[in-house]
Amino acid sequence: MTELELELRDLAARLDLPPSPSLAGAVRARLARRRRRRRVLVLALATCVAALAVALVVPGSRASLLRFFHLRGASVTLIDRLPQLTPRRSLGTPIPFGKVPFRLLLPSGQRPERVYAGDGGYWLRYPGLLLFEYESAAGATILKKAAAGTDVEYVRVRGEPGIWIGARHALYLPGGPPRVAGHVLIWQHRLLTLRLEAAVGRERALAIARSVR
Amino acid sequence: MQPPGEETLVERARRGDLAAFEALVLAYQSLAFRTAFVIAGDAADAEEAAQDAFVKAHRALGRFRRGEPFRPWLLTIVANEARNRRRTRGRRAGLALRAAAEPQATAEDPEEAALATERRERLLTAVERLRDDDRDILACRYFLELSEDETAAALGIARGTVKSRAHRALARLQEELR
Repeated sequence: MTELELELRDLAARLDLPPSPSLAGAVRARLARRRRRRRVLVLALATCVAALAVALVVPGSRASLLRFFHLRGASVTLIDRLPQLTPRRSLGTPIPFGKVPFRLLLPSGQRPERVYAGDGGYWLRYPGLLLFEYESAAGATILKKAAAGTDVEYVRVRGEPGIWIGARHALYLPGGPPRVAGHVLIWQHRLLTLRLEAAVGRERALAIARSVR
Repeated sequence: MQPPGEETLVERARRGDLAAFEALVLAYQSLAFRTAFVIAGDAADAEEAAQDAFVKAHRALGRFRRGEPFRPWLLTIVANEARNRRRTRGRRAGLALRAAAEPQATAEDPEEAALATERRERLLTAVERLRDDDRDILACRYFLELSEDETAAALGIARGTVKSRAHRALARLQEELR
């Protein structure tokens, strides 16, 4: 080693290097975040595929598929004719408001008359209005079918995607027969998906959805 | 019980074991930070570069060739991140010498000590005046004491080029010192 090289080595020991920070925690957090994001994406894709598959095989709906709308946790297909529909059965088991394991979102912040646990989520009953909330990231999904020509469109509620169905349609909840449903707005809010059913028009439904907090 | 070796940790990390990857981060975080700092010249940039490098390394584990040493492979990613930040910043803050230590009982003559410090400062200034590629190779070989293989990996050059490039950089440094 030449004298210059030795001097460089000597210099290395005297450099003012800042102390090495601990990186493990930050790296761990970033990797865990990435893994969660990937899971949600995979789940969303799987849900989408499953919903499409269900749409094609649900008994009584051999009608051809005309159009497909999808949100995380909900999808709507337009078919040429609706299957045989049964009236709504009970909404589930009534439970106290405080027993819901996540914070329910309420229209204008107002508490419902009753809360029911059922169909993989929570039904909130208000006079003339029914709200269904469920954690779509956990995999629950609802499926709707509407006849061709029905008013179905994508909308946005406070920047998040939603679907408006402005007519009578078929609602499929996990494990049950198709039920009849009226005007419905479905939209995402962070990890929740909300479904509002009321005999109101699109603008009124959107106004109620925007008031949810 | 023996702690798992590097190869085992890499293999486990490839299969999705985050704890195994964290053990690799703990083993190499200091080297990664120092390498990034010597190249980028800024502590915040170096921390960010080292952190990003570990995240990218994790993502690229599938492409890591089994049986190869992990250290040079990681250094390639760290050095790349650090150079990108240096490029973005446009200029690099120079390295500095630590403040003089307290005089010791066996301290050399104060005048000699002052002269030695002056020589070191001159040498460091000359290193900092070199072109980036000359400076980087000297920093890798003499400041970070990386092997030829590791230097080649960090700088993205062939192993055979390391010697000749270091030789050329030393000659240019000698010129600067005249």
